[in-house]
Amino acid sequence: MKLFSKILMGAAVFGMMASGDASAAGKIVMDGSTTVGPIAKSFAAYFTRTTGTDVTVSESGSGNGAKSIINSTCDIANMSRAMKTNEIAAAKAKGVNPVEHVVALDGMAIVVNPSNRVKNLTKKQIRDIYSGKITNWNQVGGPTAEIVKIQRESNSGTQDTFKSLVMGKEAPISKRAETQASNGAVKSRVASTPSAIGFLGLGFVDGSVKAVSVEGVAPTVVSVKDGTYPISRPLFMYTNGQPKGAVKQFIELNQTPEGMRMISELGFVNQ
Amino acid sequence: MNLGTRKILDRSFTALGIGSIVVMALALLIVITPIIYNGLGAVFFKGTIEHRKLLYNEFHRGDGAELEREIAEVAVYRDQAYRMLADFELELEGMDPEKAREYRMQYGPVKTALQTLLGPPPGDDSAILTRFRYGQTRWEKAEEKLHALLYESKWDYSDPDVMAKEYFVRRAESFEGTKLAPMFGFVEKNAEKMLLPRFTLYWGFLTDSSIDAHIFGGIWPEIQGTFFLAIGAMLFAFPLGVVAAIYFTEYAKDGVFTSMLRSANSTLAGVPSIVFGLFGLAFFINTLNVSESKSVLAGALTLAIMILPTIIRAAEEAILAVPKTYKEASLGLGSTKWNTIVTVILPAALPGIITGGVISLGRAAGETAPIIFTAAVSVGSAIGIADVLSSPTPALSWNIYNLASEHEAAAEIRHVQYGMVLALVSIVLLLNLSAVLLRARISKKLKG
Repeated sequence: MKLFSKILMGAAVFGMMASGDASAAGKIVMDGSTTVGPIAKSFAAYFTRTTGTDVTVSESGSGNGAKSIINSTCDIANMSRAMKTNEIAAAKAKGVNPVEHVVALDGMAIVVNPSNRVKNLTKKQIRDIYSGKITNWNQVGGPTAEIVKIQRESNSGTQDTFKSLVMGKEAPISKRAETQASNGAVKSRVASTPSAIGFLGLGFVDGSVKAVSVEGVAPTVVSVKDGTYPISRPLFMYTNGQPKGAVKQFIELNQTPEGMRMISELGFVNQ
Repeated sequence: MNLGTRKILDRSFTALGIGSIVVMALALLIVITPIIYNGLGAVFFKGTIEHRKLLYNEFHRGDGAELEREIAEVAVYRDQAYRMLADFELELEGMDPEKAREYRMQYGPVKTALQTLLGPPPGDDSAILTRFRYGQTRWEKAEEKLHALLYESKWDYSDPDVMAKEYFVRRAESFEGTKLAPMFGFVEKNAEKMLLPRFTLYWGFLTDSSIDAHIFGGIWPEIQGTFFLAIGAMLFAFPLGVVAAIYFTEYAKDGVFTSMLRSANSTLAGVPSIVFGLFGLAFFINTLNVSESKSVLAGALTLAIMILPTIIRAAEEAILAVPKTYKEASLGLGSTKWNTIVTVILPAALPGIITGGVISLGRAAGETAPIIFTAAVSVGSAIGIADVLSSPTPALSWNIYNLASEHEAAAEIRHVQYGMVLALVSIVLLLNLSAVLLRARISKKLKG
C-alpha cells in the first residue's frame, strides 16, 4: 500500500500547486460565434488584466451561443446574427430574457484566392455562383476554372447572414458547396485553393486571400461604417436580462476608448 | 505439402510480419518527427530583443539592466530607420499633390510592415492589443516580415484565361529617388542589429499563461486543464470500473441479464466520442445541472463515462487472469469471499488493472469531442482546484484544434500549435510509460 500513499501524495502536491493561483473575484463565461471570437478574446484578456475577473471564451458558433444562453449555461452569448424568433420564444419559455447588445459592425468580405483576377462581383453574380447558376470563373470575367464554393456550417451566424443578405429566400445555396466550420478554416481553404470563393468576417481578411468589391464597393472600415458596402451586419452580444455588475462593465467595454481601439485594431468596425 | 513449400510459406509469413512492423515504425516516425522538431521550436528558438522585452514587461523575467543596454544598442539603428521615414513624410508634404497621393498609397503598407517587424516606433504607446505592442519575437518570423517589407507581392494578371502567378517587386524600386529608398537597404543590412536575435530557451512556454489569445506566452492553463480533466475522469471511472469488474467476474451469475450487461459494456466502448460529448451536454449540464456553465466537473464526468468500458474490460481480464489456485487456497484456509477478493485476487490483478487505468487516462487526456460542449474554452486563465466544480478550462486537445482552424492568426502561431501537440503527445507517452514501469514494479514485488 506504499504505492497508494505515493499516488495520494502526488495528487496532494498537484492540488496544492493548482490551488496556488486560486480563483479570482467573479467570472464571466462567454460562448458563441467564431466571428465575434477575436473581439471577445481581446476584451476578455483586457478585462481580466484590468479588473481581475476571469473571463472564459468558447468559439462554437452562433447557434451554440444561442443554445447556451437559452439553457443559461453562459453569461454572454456572442452572435454574428440576431436571435431568431423561435430562439427568443424558446428562451422565454425557459424564463430567460435575451437582451441584445451590438458590440461592433462587420462587413462580410467575399474572398477569392489572390491568383484570381476577378476584382468585383455584383450581389446577383454572388447569388448565381452560390446557387449554382454560374459555375466557371470565366462567366464573371475571370480565368477558365471551375468555381469551388465554400460555405459555413448551419450553426454559423455568418452563414445565416449570408443567406439573408445575399441569397434571399428564392435562391438556396447549391448542394455542391463545400462546408467549413469556422472563419479561419474558410480563409485557409480559399488561400490554398486557386479557384475557391468564400465569405468571411472583415476582421479575418489578411494578405493570404483577396476580398473582392461588391457592387463596386470595396469592404473597408469606412464603407462598412457609412453603409455603402452592401453586405454588412452588426455583431451581437446577448445577456439574460439587463446586464449587471461585471457583465455590464464588460458589455460596455465597446464604448470605452480602449474597447473601440481594440475593435479597430482587430479590423472590425465601431458602431 | 512438402517441406520446401512449408519453408517458403513460413519465410514469406515472417517477411510479411517484419514488413508490417517496419511500415508501422516508419509511419510513426513520419508523424512524430515533425511534431518533435516543430514542437521543440516553441521552446528553443532564436529570440529577438522583442521577446526579451515581452518577457520582462509581461512576466517580470530577465535582466532589466541588460535589456536597457540592448534597447539602447538597437535604438541607434532603429532611430536611423525611423528618421528616414520621417524625412520621407516631410518630403511628401512638399511634393506635387498627385504624385504624393500615389506615394502615400504605397507608403502605408511600408510603414505597417516596418512596425510589424520592429514594433511600434518609440513613444507610440497607443496600441492596446499586445500583438501590436511588440515587433517580431522570433527570428524566423522576423525574416519573413523582413521579406514582406522589402518585397511587394504582385500578381501577374496579364493572361485572362489562367490563374495568375505571384511575383515579387522590390519596394525600393517604387520609391526610387525619394528619401525612403535607402531605408530598405539599411534595414536589410542591419536587421540583426535592430533585433539582436539570440538563441533562447523559453521554458516559460510550459509554465506561462497565454497572452493575447496564444499569440505570445505559454500554454500552462491548457496543460493544467488537461490534467484536471484526465485525473477527474479517473477519479470517477477507476473505482466504478474496478467494482463493476469484480461484480462481473466474482458475483454475476451467467444468465440473460449478465450477458446483456456485458454486451451493453462492449457497445459503450464502441460509441463515437462526439456522442458522449453531446450526451454530457444534455445530461450533466442541461438536465442534472452539475454546474451552471461548462465545467471541469461536467467534462470529467463525460470523459469518465467514455473510458469506463475500457477500464471494466481491462480489470475483468486482469481478475480472470489470476490463477484459480490462489482463490481456492484462500477459500480453503477459511477466508470469506470478500476477504479473498480484497487480499488475494485484487493485489494479484493490480498490474493489469493499473495498466488499463493509465491507458484510459491517456485517452481521456487526448480526447477532444467529449469536452467541446462540456468543458473546453478557447481562452481562459488557469483555474484553481477550487474552481473545478464550476469553471470551464482550456485544454490541450481542444486548443490544438482551435489554433489550427479557428484562430484569426492561425498561420502566424504554428509554433504554439506544434508546441501544444508535442506537450500533449509527451503527456500521453509519459502516462503510458509510467504504466509500463508501474506494472513491472508491482509484478516484481508480487513475485519476490
